[in-house]
Amino acid sequence: MALSLTVNGDRVASTADPAAPLVDILREELHLTGAKPVCREGFCGACMVLIDGKPTPSCLTPAALADGCEIQTVEGLATPGQLNRIQAALDASDAVQCGMCFPGMVVSLTHLLTASPDATREDIRAALTGNICRCTGYERIIDATLLALATK
Amino acid sequence: MSDVSATMDLRRRDAADKLRGRTRYTVDRYLPGMLHAAVLRASVPSGRIVRLDTSRAARMPGVRAIVTAADAPGMMGIGIADHPLFARDVIRYDGEPLAAIAAGTLAQAQAALAAIDVEIESLPAVLTMADALVPDAPLVHPNWRDYEVLFEGGAREGNIAWEATVVRGDVDAAFARPDVEIVESSFRVGRQNHVAFEPRAVVASYEDGRFHIETSTQVPWGIRNATARVLGVPASQVRVTVPPVGGGFGLKFDLAIEPFAALLARASGRPVRLVNSREEEMLTCLFRENAEIRIRSAVTREGEIVGREAVVLMDCGAYGGEQIFLTTMTAHTLGGNYKLGSVRLVSRAVYTNTAPNGAFRCCNGVYNTFALERHTDEIAARIGMDPLLFRRRNVLGDKDLGATGQVFEADVLRAMLDRMDTLRDAVVPPPARTDGRLYGRATTVGTWFVFVGPSAATVNMNADGTATLVTSGVEIGSGSMVQSLPQIVASTLGIAPESVTVRAADTDAAGYDVGVGGGRTTVSLGAASLSAAQDVRTKLLKVASEMIEAAPEDLVMRHGRIEIAGAPGSGRTIAEVATCAQAKSGPVSGTGAFTGTGVPAMPGCVAGHFIDAIDIPVFAVHDCEVAVDPETGHVEVLNYRVVQDVGRALNPRAIHGQIQGGVVQGLGYALHEEVTIGSNGRVCQSGFETYRVPLALDVVPVEISLYEGAPSMGPLGTKGAGEVPILNVGAAVACAVANATGKRIQELPLTPPRVLELLLDRKRDLTLPHIAETWSDNLVRPHKTPRGNA
Repeated sequence: MALSLTVNGDRVASTADPAAPLVDILREELHLTGAKPVCREGFCGACMVLIDGKPTPSCLTPAALADGCEIQTVEGLATPGQLNRIQAALDASDAVQCGMCFPGMVVSLTHLLTASPDATREDIRAALTGNICRCTGYERIIDATLLALATK
Repeated sequence: MSDVSATMDLRRRDAADKLRGRTRYTVDRYLPGMLHAAVLRASVPSGRIVRLDTSRAARMPGVRAIVTAADAPGMMGIGIADHPLFARDVIRYDGEPLAAIAAGTLAQAQAALAAIDVEIESLPAVLTMADALVPDAPLVHPNWRDYEVLFEGGAREGNIAWEATVVRGDVDAAFARPDVEIVESSFRVGRQNHVAFEPRAVVASYEDGRFHIETSTQVPWGIRNATARVLGVPASQVRVTVPPVGGGFGLKFDLAIEPFAALLARASGRPVRLVNSREEEMLTCLFRENAEIRIRSAVTREGEIVGREAVVLMDCGAYGGEQIFLTTMTAHTLGGNYKLGSVRLVSRAVYTNTAPNGAFRCCNGVYNTFALERHTDEIAARIGMDPLLFRRRNVLGDKDLGATGQVFEADVLRAMLDRMDTLRDAVVPPPARTDGRLYGRATTVGTWFVFVGPSAATVNMNADGTATLVTSGVEIGSGSMVQSLPQIVASTLGIAPESVTVRAADTDAAGYDVGVGGGRTTVSLGAASLSAAQDVRTKLLKVASEMIEAAPEDLVMRHGRIEIAGAPGSGRTIAEVATCAQAKSGPVSGTGAFTGTGVPAMPGCVAGHFIDAIDIPVFAVHDCEVAVDPETGHVEVLNYRVVQDVGRALNPRAIHGQIQGGVVQGLGYALHEEVTIGSNGRVCQSGFETYRVPLALDVVPVEISLYEGAPSMGPLGTKGAGEVPILNVGAAVACAVANATGKRIQELPLTPPRVLELLLDRKRDLTLPHIAETWSDNLVRPHKTPRGNA
């Protein structure tokens, strides 16, 4: 039986193995390669997507568990011509280096901006525990999040 | 020359797509008709292949091609060609490739791997350098004498893959002086995994009789040449292109999995994708090597270092690789920082039956700086001198001799220490702490260098007033390709940096380049780009001079115009001049090339070295404060400061980003990134659960001061800035923890169990019995005997 997913507002059907990790369906069937399967163990956060609004590592999510859910990937977080609030702040802060972790960072932080509008520096640091970055040393990501929170 | 400053606060042009998830790294390239590949790897550290039968695997569903050792006749290596692509008869490490398969899906390829009939007879293994150096130890390469020598001069014997020595002055006489204290220290460090987020990945195809390799690498030309070598084809038959790279840190400075995909593409006639799993990356990454160091100094009570000797053992794993070159670096890292009356150093790359090691940001420098700076503090303590005063007295200054006898220019380190004092003293000291933790602080110095070497660049001036920069440079995340290089071209031509298009690396389009690493992009590719842009500038000014009727020397290029100096708005737009030039004599372009000039060393000082002296030294001063919990052994870094010698900062904000990131990688190395190897020869840390990289909660904001103005042969006075921030982090943290606890820190990382052992006095002093007491007894052959194998 085909799976029915809603991805970035589009209804899609997939005949993939229901046990297949969602990240593989997004990348290989739907060509949404923003989510990165970096560790495939749920530690690094680079494959984070929003499932019914909740940040979730798509590497640990069997496709069947996302059946009927609203999935938002990093590609669906901003309109084509514009960056969303956290993307714009990260860009303005020159936070990006290799960029592999940022799709997941952007998903987690987009959620944080609405879920914790009063987040402090310490809250942000704690919230990033599930998103690892190997290049930047995090500080600019935290600064950018504070900037985004301040520019509501 | 230029009329506009090259220093700019230019943002990264690649950031927006990276933030949107649109950037297509190599792992994101899915071609029509593409096959998926997987590699069969050995599961013993040492053995003989009795049988490797792929006939059943070839009949498995979806299988399109299988390749084995018979398909890759060549041998690769640095200095010594000791490394086949696949294990041939003999297995030398757990994880060594045996065969590769391409199939319709990855699952099919993996199923077929399991169907390969392989029988391996286990052989005795040497898993540590101590094991490898035992007399009559099993040899990792019994036939080491038969290998092709690619670079002459290194001493070799048995499990010693390469040995490099430095001898300057009479060290025996210095140690025999009656007025000196002899201070001896021993150190040991483990491996570090790069954990580049993009694993090594490649998509290869075979087109018109040539290989096209699209790969996640730092060294497109290195991949071209090494792939050709192992495949036994002319290098001109290999084209390498490089999409944006998701992190390198040195991991991607060597050939990796590219030839497997290339061979499978040729065999199947289809594009082949091969991507390392995270587990493969963790177990077979070309780690920063584990090392063991003994250093001994003869120092007067007044604090003069009259003699120094050291033995450095570097584990190269099963094949020599990068460590063979890195034996050279000990002269400039462990032998760096300080004036030495006399010195002798031996650096030995040791074969073991473990996964090969490789290059990692400030290769060799990170642990040698840890050893040198801890040793320096032990010296200062012994003679009762303040460690900062001791450093100030002894750091290399103008006209001082380095270990190999090169003459240093300018008083850089001393001025940087002053700068650090100013930074540190500007902070109001915190009130007395009463939380029961132990507090300590330390300031350390470090010496690194820019790995210069050949680079080429072409600048095409377009009739619309934009320019295209064509090089073999790769954007690995450091920003050099999207910030400093277009800034250099833009300032030379007086156009906006956004008007400089930067072509992604393609060995068919741009000339030879050593690769992105060693802090060389802004320097070497920058110098080539500057020279190419100047070529274009000269040509445009000549044409403009005729159009404007003014002498070229009276013209300036700024704001997209060529105009008479002192008369803004005069003259023509650059687009008009370029259009006119194109119509009259064809499109304008310029070429540039660069390589290091070579700095002289003292004759006879070095043997087995790939370079005798360092063209562009780079200095760093780090300062940090830690708190150590005596109950748990946990070390918290409270604050961290960096004064870094950058020559000239073209994009200060970008450099600050590199320093913050590099320091944090160093904190991981200093405190919790630990690699261990089990009795089965396999790396124990197979993923993120067991290999602990720094998280957001672990870091502090680094206070940064860029030191400008030190001499550099780099373009516009630049030095590389992205490599060096990691250099003395291990050193600074270790010295601070030693000061906090009063304990002798001899090993990294300082994990809580290790610190607790120290605090409870359960840690015995480190001894390295496989390093001989007498320095010369450690050598395969005496320093500077006639060339050739021992």
